[in-house]
Amino acid sequence: MYALVVALLALFFRLLAPNLFWHVFTPVFRGADILAAKSHSFINGFGHTAELALENERLTNENVALTNENQALLQEVTGQGALQRTSGILAGIVARPPESPYDTLTLAGGSKAGITVGQEAFGPGNVPLGVVSSVLADFSRVTLFSAPGMATHGWIGQAALPLTILGAGAGALQASLSRSAGAVVGDIIFVPGPGMLPIGSVVRIDSDPSMPGVTLRIQPTLNLFSLAWVELRTTGAKLFPPPLAEETSTLP
Amino acid sequence: MMRGLLTMATFISVVLFPWPLTAFLAIVSAFFEPFVPLAVGLFADTLYYLPREGAWPLSTLFGAGITVIALFVRSRLRADI
Repeated sequence: MYALVVALLALFFRLLAPNLFWHVFTPVFRGADILAAKSHSFINGFGHTAELALENERLTNENVALTNENQALLQEVTGQGALQRTSGILAGIVARPPESPYDTLTLAGGSKAGITVGQEAFGPGNVPLGVVSSVLADFSRVTLFSAPGMATHGWIGQAALPLTILGAGAGALQASLSRSAGAVVGDIIFVPGPGMLPIGSVVRIDSDPSMPGVTLRIQPTLNLFSLAWVELRTTGAKLFPPPLAEETSTLP
Repeated sequence: MMRGLLTMATFISVVLFPWPLTAFLAIVSAFFEPFVPLAVGLFADTLYYLPREGAWPLSTLFGAGITVIALFVRSRLRADI
């Protein structure tokens, strides 16, 4: 019964003073991140592979970033992109998907940093991740494109066939496409950026012979579980479906 | 003592560990403290849930479901005794 009282108190605290609530809980999440990093190093320490593991992780992230830049540049060269490098707002991530079943990121930056509802979040390598759905004074929430119920318009492959990408939850995406479109595993999925920005690639195609279309299972380009920061820019992206009530508050 | 530690561990796991482990700990806790799953679900939604069309506070709903089942089972066990 005491547990329920504690949970209710936390809920009231969150509702009455959301900004203060996140100030209190940010060190807790930071501590969790540090603990996760330490345990990662500890586990990898067996066999003296910690350095190799870190190097491998760094190179993997670098490779992903370069691949994305390459894809975006390729689109520009083929005349299908109009890349404009614009500077955005950098924000650190307080809480991310592993702890969150709803595919949202909590950012350590809010209206004081210039973040507004509707801005698009980009990861390393200019990978689109989601849209800012609520803003407090010092914190904000990004709803990822992979969140259940999210629908994003995009394109597939170099032929840029239009399709609607749906969030499948737990960091995954899916889309339906006509069988005759000839999508194959490995095709890159793009979303509007500026230009066409790669968001992920097809990892599996589910096909039912009785249906005219196929379902594409899409893996995001970036590992959402290891992100440390995002860049926020105004691109005109819209959250679909929209939040029920914008959680914008000036309360402490 | 053991119950308290288990309840505490369940709450901490909401922040530290992936949700399947939290769900497992909440179900185990329900054997001793039936309201823990509801409390933990409420706490998880307090941290992570964002009201949006089509998005339900699943943690709270599942927690409430487990609590109802736990209370029902306990009442039946008492009646049998």
